[in-house]
Amino acid sequence: MKMVLLAGIAAVALSSHAFAQAIQIDPQLPNYTPVSGISGSLKSVGSDTMNNLMTLWAEGFLAMYPNVRIEIEGKGSSTAPPALIAGTSQFGPMSREMNQRERDAFQQRFGYPPAVIRGGIDSLAVYVHKDNPIRCLTMQQVDAIFSKTRRGGHPTDITTWGQLGLTGEWANRPISLYGRNSASGTYGYFKEVALFRGDYKDQVKEQPGSSTVVQGVASDRFAIGYSGIGYKTADVRAVPLASKPGETCYDATVENAVAGDYPLARFLYVYTNANPNQQMDPLRREFIRFIFSRQGQEATIKDGYFPITRAIAEDDMKAMGLSFAGN
Amino acid sequence: MAMDAISSPETASTGRAGTDPSRRGSRPSPRLLEGKTRLIDLKAEGQPNLWLLGGALCIAIVMILSLVLLVLWNGLATFWPKPIAVVTLTDGSLVAGEPSRTASFRVGQEVLATLPPEAQAEIAANGGYASRTLYRTGNFDLYGDDFRWVADFQARAKEFPRDMVLFERQEWGVFVGRIASFVRDGRTVPVTDPWADEVRQAHRVARDRFLQIRSIQRVEIGEVNHYLESERLRLRRAALQYSEGSRELEAARARFVEREAFYQRQFEELSARAQALMREHEAETVTLVEIGGRERVQPLGTIVRFYPANDVNLLQKLGIYGSRWFEFLTDEPREANTEGGILPALFGTVALTLLLVVFVTPFGVITAIYLREYAKQGRLVSAVRVSVNNLAGVPSIVYGVFGVGFFAYTVGGSIDALFFPEKLPSPTFGTGGLLWASLTLALLTVPVVIVASEEALAAVPRSMREGSLACGASKWQTIRYIVLPRALPGIMTGVILAMARGAGEVAPLMLVGVVKLAPELPIDGFFPFIHLERSFMHLGFHIFDVGFQSRNSEAGKPMVYTTTLLLIFLILVMNLTAITIRNRLKRKFAGSQF
Repeated sequence: MKMVLLAGIAAVALSSHAFAQAIQIDPQLPNYTPVSGISGSLKSVGSDTMNNLMTLWAEGFLAMYPNVRIEIEGKGSSTAPPALIAGTSQFGPMSREMNQRERDAFQQRFGYPPAVIRGGIDSLAVYVHKDNPIRCLTMQQVDAIFSKTRRGGHPTDITTWGQLGLTGEWANRPISLYGRNSASGTYGYFKEVALFRGDYKDQVKEQPGSSTVVQGVASDRFAIGYSGIGYKTADVRAVPLASKPGETCYDATVENAVAGDYPLARFLYVYTNANPNQQMDPLRREFIRFIFSRQGQEATIKDGYFPITRAIAEDDMKAMGLSFAGN
Repeated sequence: MAMDAISSPETASTGRAGTDPSRRGSRPSPRLLEGKTRLIDLKAEGQPNLWLLGGALCIAIVMILSLVLLVLWNGLATFWPKPIAVVTLTDGSLVAGEPSRTASFRVGQEVLATLPPEAQAEIAANGGYASRTLYRTGNFDLYGDDFRWVADFQARAKEFPRDMVLFERQEWGVFVGRIASFVRDGRTVPVTDPWADEVRQAHRVARDRFLQIRSIQRVEIGEVNHYLESERLRLRRAALQYSEGSRELEAARARFVEREAFYQRQFEELSARAQALMREHEAETVTLVEIGGRERVQPLGTIVRFYPANDVNLLQKLGIYGSRWFEFLTDEPREANTEGGILPALFGTVALTLLLVVFVTPFGVITAIYLREYAKQGRLVSAVRVSVNNLAGVPSIVYGVFGVGFFAYTVGGSIDALFFPEKLPSPTFGTGGLLWASLTLALLTVPVVIVASEEALAAVPRSMREGSLACGASKWQTIRYIVLPRALPGIMTGVILAMARGAGEVAPLMLVGVVKLAPELPIDGFFPFIHLERSFMHLGFHIFDVGFQSRNSEAGKPMVYTTTLLLIFLILVMNLTAITIRNRLKRKFAGSQF
C-alpha cells in the first residue's frame, strides 16, 4: 500500500502540470457578431512570438468575413514600428511595449501616438530539459546565469548546475544557454526584466525563433533557455520563479500571471494607427472587436497564452474611441 | 595523365630488368627497386585518383540517398493511421494517446528515491537508465498540452482498446477518446460502434452542411463584399478627385448610398441563409469523452474525420491515408499552419517558379545574343561578362533587400500613388507580392541563363552561320532561323538550372512577399483575375515556419517532413518536364541537320 502511494507521488511529481485545468475566459467578454460589408485587406508585421496568435485571430476573423485578405509577417517585434510608420502594415503585434524612440518616430510622422491593443497575457518561461531536477530559481539567479553584468545583485557568476544546488551528475556540468536574437521582443523584455537592463553573456546561443529555443533546450540536457509559455512541449519544463531570494516560487500559470506573482508575465500588444480625429475604418474596427471577443480570446488560449479580462478590453477600446456595442 | 599512362609500361619493363639475376650486385637491391617501381606504377596508372574520385562519388550518393530516404520515410509515414494505447499509471490514472517515440534516459536521484524498491532494482540493473515513451494525447482544450512522456516504471498496464477513437477536428487539434452520443433531429442517439452506419451517415450530412456554410460565406457573401468594397473605393476615388460640394462628388455619394443599400440587402439574404444553416450545424452536436471521463460537446460538422484507431483493417487504413493526403494537397492550412492542407503554398511555389521562368528567359537570352552575336568583343564586353559571373555570387538575401527597396517600395510605391490612390495608406503594389518576388528571383538567376545561353550560342558551328549568310540571309535571319533553334537545348539547360535554384530559394522571398498566412490564391473570379500584387505562401518558407515557429514543435515535425517531400517532388516534376521538352527539341533539330 505504502509502495503504491509512493509511486503515486512520483508520478504526480513527474507529470508536474500535465492535465492542468483548461483556462477560463472572462464570462463578461461578448460573443462576436459579424456585421455586413466588411472586406479589404489587412497586413500585420511584427513579433514572431505572436505570429501564431495573429494567424489564429486571422483564421477566426476570416471564417466570419471570407472576403477579407489577411497577410501576416513575423520576424521580430522591432520590425513592427517601422512597418506601421511606413504604412505597409495596419497592425503591429509586439511582445514588448514600444520604447520611447519608436513612439516618438510614430508621433513625428502622424502627430498622434500609436494605439495599443492588449490581446493576451504571456508568461515568459525559463525552460530546462525535462529531466532537470531544479525546483526553483530566483530572478537574481536567472540574471547571474544569463548576464555578464549581474545587475540583479547576485554575488557570483553562475556557470555550472552545481552552483544552483544540483548534485550528482549535474554538479559539474556547465549550463548551456539558449536565447533569442536581438530583433525579438522576447529578447528585449527578458533583458529589461530578468537581466535588470544588463547585458547578455556572449555564450548565449541566439535562436531565430521562439520554438527553436525550446527545441534547443529539449535536445540538450544541460541547457536553460527562455521563451513564451505558449511554446512549451513535453520535452521541456518551465522552472517556477521567485522575484527575490527567500520568496515563494510561482509556476507560470494563468492565476499567477494575472495576480502578478509570476515575475515574467507580460502583455502581448498589438499596435495600430488610430487617428483620434477620424473614425477608424470598419475593417480594422471589426478586427479589434474580434480580438476582444470571446472567440478572439479563445484563440489566445489555443495558442497557449492567457486571456485578458473585460476591464482591460474596455480600457483599450475606449482609448481608440470604440466600444463593445459595435462602434 | 595521358603521358603517365603511356610511359608506365616502359618503367615497368626496366623494373623487371632489374630483377634479372645476372646483373645482381652492380645494381641496388632488387627489392628496393621493385618497391619503387611499383609505386610509380600505381600512380602512373592513376589508381589512387580513381579510388579518390569513386569514393567521393560514393559518399555523395550515400549522403543524397540517405537524406532522400529520411525525408521519404518520415514524410510518407506521417499520414499513416497509428494505434492508440491506453496506459494505466501506477497511481491509477489513465493516459491515452498515439505512441510517438521512445527514448531511454538516466533516472534522476530525486525521482529514483520515490520509487518502489523493485523498480529501483530494475533501473539499477539497467545501469541507471530506464525507457520512456512519448504519447500524443491530443485534447489540448482539456489538458493544456498535447504530448506527454510516460516512463516505463510509471506504467502499470498498457492496452489497445477497440473503441478508442481518434477525432481530427477543425479546431483545437486532435481529440483522443470515445464517442458517447450524437444529436439528430433534436434527439440524442447513443453510439456503441464508431463504424456504425448511422454515425457515419450523420457525420457526412453534418460535414456537407459545414462545407456548404463555408461556401456561402466564402463564395457568395465574398462576392457581395467584393462589390461593396469596390463601391467604397469608387466613392473614395471621387472624393480625392473632386472638391467638396462639387456635383460629381454628390453624384458619387448618391450612387454609393443606393448601391450600398442594394448590396446590403443581398448580404442580409445570404447571411440569413448561412445563419439558418449555422443553427442546424450547432444543434447537431456530438459528445466526446476523453479517457479520464471528461466530456466535450461540439458540433458534429467540426469533426474532419474520425476512426477507431485500434479497429481499422488495411483497406480502411489506406482509405484514411489517402484522404489525409488529399486534404493535405487540396485544402488550406488550419490552426496556424500545423494542420490541414498546403494548397496555397503549393500554388504559390508553382506560380512563382513559372513567373520566374517567364521573366528570366527572354531577359537572359536577349542579353546572351547581344553579347555573343552583336557586341564587339573587347574590354567592355569582358567587363560585362565578369560582372554577370560575379552577380551569381552575391548572397541571395542582398537580392531580397534590393527587391523590397527598389521593386516594392520605389516602383510599387509609385504605382500605388499613380493608380491606386484610393486604397492608400493600404498598399497595393507598394509591398511585397508575387510579381516583385518573381522579378527578384529572376534577377537572382539571370546570370545562370546568360552564361548557359552564351555557351550554347557559341557551340553552333561556324559553317552553319556562314552557309546561311552565303544564301543571302541577313544576320538577324541567321540568328533567328539557324543559330537560335540549334542553341535552344543549351538555353533550356540554363533555364532548368535557374528554375531549380529559384524554386528552392527562401531567404530573399521572406523580404519580398512570402508570408505565413495568405490563404487566398493569386487567381480568382474577380477582374483582373490574376492578382500578382498579392502576398503568397511558399513551400520553402512553410517548412521554416512550421519547423521553427509553430507553437508545438513536436506536432509540427511530421508536417515539416511531408512538406519537404512535396517540395522535392515538385522540383523533380518541374525539372523532368523541362528536360523532356529539351530532349524533344534536341531530337527535332538533330534530324534536320545535314
